Amino acid sequence: MTIALLMVHGLVAVALLGAITHQTLAAWAPVRGRPGSFLGRFRTVPSASFANAIVVLYLISALLGAILYLYFRIDVRPTLEREGHWQSLGLFDLKEHFISIGLGLLPAYWVLWRRPCTDESHRMRALLTAVMAFIVWWSFLIGHYLNNLKGFGL
Amino acid sequence: MTSELAFRRFAFTFGIAFAVLYVIALARDWALVTVYPSLGVVLLGTHHSKDVADPAIGFVAPAMYWYGWTATAATGALVLGLLTMLLPDRFTWRFGPGWVCVGPVLAMLACIYLTLPWFRL
Repeated sequence: MTIALLMVHGLVAVALLGAITHQTLAAWAPVRGRPGSFLGRFRTVPSASFANAIVVLYLISALLGAILYLYFRIDVRPTLEREGHWQSLGLFDLKEHFISIGLGLLPAYWVLWRRPCTDESHRMRALLTAVMAFIVWWSFLIGHYLNNLKGFGL
Repeated sequence: MTSELAFRRFAFTFGIAFAVLYVIALARDWALVTVYPSLGVVLLGTHHSKDVADPAIGFVAPAMYWYGWTATAATGALVLGLLTMLLPDRFTWRFGPGWVCVGPVLAMLACIYLTLPWFRL
């Protein structure tokens, strides 16, 4: 059951990572890309349409993570503590803190992507999306790192 | 339009307040609930087993506070967000919406600072 949950959590995280990365790059890339270029085609995808999906995926991923955290605390963390992986546990704690802060940002993120874009709101949404992307990337990488830490007994 | 402005105020206030309150909850150890996953028990408030029983209980029944810190921040931010929704529209956002980015980034830096002891072990 835990492994199935972990796999679903991973799959949702991959979808979230893809969506937020695309949206962030589209928000920061120059508007005038050459029409036929990769950047130009990338930019033509309406980034705002990702916002609802990102909010839903973030919530699902956070919920699954919150459930898995219970198993992690009982089954995984004591082993890491016993073997002195303190830095890894610190990185994991940061992941939890950042995810919570990201949860709090979801309403503002959603509002910014829902409104028609002015110069100010474009800057704001680009910045906030970058913060969200950082949180998602950090969580993804640290989650994988912790998951793989004992995989080969290293 | 009025309700949209009110929700915008709520969303921005919630985001900033959540980040600030989360750091305060983390620093002061104000968890709304304490979870004991091995016992399947959730207690209201912050509980440290070493305060009421032998410190060794912490190994048998580890406590989790992350849910409580998140709940503390969410509850406080919800109250503050709802209060700002009640303000008339002429009360514009005095801090500027930029704080919705700056506040959480500062909060994340504060979290890094509070987590530093892990890296000194």
